[in-house]
Amino acid sequence: MSAALARLATPAEPDGSRPVVGYVGADVPVELLTAAGMHPLRLTGSPGEPSTAGDRYLGTGLDPVARSVLTRLLDGAYGHLDGLVVSRDCEASSRLFYAVRELKRIDPAAPLPPVQLVDVLHLPHRTTTRYVHAKLAGLRATLETWAGRPITDDDLAEAIGQHNRLRHLLREIGELRGRTPALLSGTQALSLVAATTRLPVRDACSLAERLLAEQPSEVDGLRVFLTGSGHDEPGVYAALEEAGLVIVGEDHDWGDLLSLRDVEAPTMLALAERYQHNGPSAPRASIRRRAEHTSSAARARGAGALISYARVHDDAPPWDFPAQRALCGLPSVLLDRQPYGGLTDDALAAAAGLRGPVGAVR
Amino acid sequence: MSARLASATAATAYQRDWFARLRTQAADGAPLALVNADAPQEIFRAMGIPYVVNQWWASIVTAKRRTQDYLGHLRERGYPDHIEQYSSVSLGSLFDPDPGSAPWGGLPRPSLVLAETTGDASRKIFDVWGEQPGITFYPLESAAENDVPVRWWELMPRRWEEAVGGDRLDLLTGELEGLIRFLEQTTGLVFSETRFREVMELVNEQQEWNRRTRDLIARARPCPLAVTDSIPSVMIPQWHRGTTWARDAAKAFHDEVAERVGEGAAVCPGERARLMWIGRGLWFDLDFYRRFQESHGAVFVWSMYLAIAADGYLRYGDDPLRALAARFAAFSDQLYTPPWSAEWYVKEARHHGVDGVVHLVSEDARGGYFTTRALEAAGIPVLELRADNVDSRGADAEAITRTVGEWLDRRVLARD
Repeated sequence: MSAALARLATPAEPDGSRPVVGYVGADVPVELLTAAGMHPLRLTGSPGEPSTAGDRYLGTGLDPVARSVLTRLLDGAYGHLDGLVVSRDCEASSRLFYAVRELKRIDPAAPLPPVQLVDVLHLPHRTTTRYVHAKLAGLRATLETWAGRPITDDDLAEAIGQHNRLRHLLREIGELRGRTPALLSGTQALSLVAATTRLPVRDACSLAERLLAEQPSEVDGLRVFLTGSGHDEPGVYAALEEAGLVIVGEDHDWGDLLSLRDVEAPTMLALAERYQHNGPSAPRASIRRRAEHTSSAARARGAGALISYARVHDDAPPWDFPAQRALCGLPSVLLDRQPYGGLTDDALAAAAGLRGPVGAVR
Repeated sequence: MSARLASATAATAYQRDWFARLRTQAADGAPLALVNADAPQEIFRAMGIPYVVNQWWASIVTAKRRTQDYLGHLRERGYPDHIEQYSSVSLGSLFDPDPGSAPWGGLPRPSLVLAETTGDASRKIFDVWGEQPGITFYPLESAAENDVPVRWWELMPRRWEEAVGGDRLDLLTGELEGLIRFLEQTTGLVFSETRFREVMELVNEQQEWNRRTRDLIARARPCPLAVTDSIPSVMIPQWHRGTTWARDAAKAFHDEVAERVGEGAAVCPGERARLMWIGRGLWFDLDFYRRFQESHGAVFVWSMYLAIAADGYLRYGDDPLRALAARFAAFSDQLYTPPWSAEWYVKEARHHGVDGVVHLVSEDARGGYFTTRALEAAGIPVLELRADNVDSRGADAEAITRTVGEWLDRRVLARD
């Protein structure tokens, strides 16, 4: 294992030098958090731990990731948070925000940080751009209050430049997966991206640069493209790759989708447009746009098969799958209603079956 | 008192006649829209474009026991049959290979579908509609607000700008302007501001009658009508709002209820417990609502349909398009977002003097904890029923009946 990848096994804790703001969803414009002098910490669930409190407050009909995140928030598992910013990247995040807001209202002593919703919407219309621009202005004002200082335009421009740099590096790393054979496993890539969401952006860039400077090792296996649910931990990737597959790309925002698009100018308007056109994620993009993206991304990475993994109560991916399968033209399988962080035996067998004669499992 | 409300019978007869005419119009090539329940239908009304409400059709399909057939058509095409069935079952009916066997002669093929991009699956369902030949999907955003108004039901009629928030209103107003231009261009029909103002005034008149009716029922002891009568009496006119028929139907419903109250009529003689039903209608088992009258003297006096008509629709103001945006920009909040929803349910429970609440909690994203908690904190017993309102798979009618009966004995009637 490379030194940079080995470092991921012991993720750095915030060093206390700046306020830490947790955030939920890739629709949170982290550039604003960085510009405010804060340490953005993307919150992850933990499938190995019970989510009793989250189940109670959110119900068991919601994506288990959100239930886990709420449980961990209440347990203080993320350490001290000076604030929490939640996007509406999916319905589960919306419900998580409502629950945190309501728990704080009915029990002001609840161990929860100040919370702010940032309602980034995605229809490709000017009306939506204006709305997102207004919502980002509101977030900026809240962050200024939390930070006790204004976010200057220079702060913003610098942060946008840094995050664009990180996205550029992550895209370069992604290209390693597109080589034949792949020079990075899906599990390694996922872990790296996750690590960059826990680090201040300068440190994240350094980590990515170190990885790119190292001598990569080849990864063998049937090249598959993974669509469907997002993965905030590596359990599913590890299980699939242990079964002889190598995940050469994905279209969720804990992976390739996170770094797909840059901010095109150092302005609030450009930031709003970047996040409006973020994605195309399963919960927020149209079936057609998803299928077109999945097809072109799978082709670009030289994938030989398509797997759609849909976590239980993650409602969007199963609707996308028929069009994705048709447009990709690859041997494909939908693994529906899967447990958080893992696969059922049948699902794993179906995925492994893709290694058989081409087209054996569709 | 067992006679069905005349207004319910009249509304159902009107709906059948209207649907037959709609089928004829569609067969002759007229434009037809399929719209979600919480979409701004008033624009279609003003332009004379007929529309069918997605969830109304789902309720008809379910009451006629065709839901599983239509979910099967989705499954055959690789789409999920277990997600947002209330919204997806109409799509399944589009794929019916034998449409002549469908309820009411079948849903005519729409040329346009309109919906907010609510949740993760709803917009996908409408994407599939939009992929069908000759059908266009016009999506609207579903926006949310960080802050919560206090007692929204008091603000909404006139202070809706304060309750909903300017950003959401700017967004939806802009989207509606786009929708009007789109409809003008694709149908050749005219949007008259004068006509639109008339529609908006008729809607407000209709909801004022609903408000009076709601208040009559809230105060009446004993309860003068079955909730299964109030639902068609309020909802069929609701889907025709903006017409004089709908306004007059709401008034006729009110007058009939007032007459019953005046006579001291009781839907459940010997009424012992007044119940509230929170959630969508249990369309596959409408008998449920009367099942506990004889056994327990328990009568459902409340469903959201009349109550949200009373509190959720009134919007006055000089700018009718922005007022229409205000009607729908926070509609989902009113019913499903805490504390908007939870506080309103408590207000309504107290207003109606209910002794207990049966709360339908489906295995979906909406959850129910905060509503249940708020009601229990107000001293009102709540039973959470786990079921889907259109998909009866997994629902054990006997077990549900037993559960409700035991809860009535243990928590509601024991308080007598």
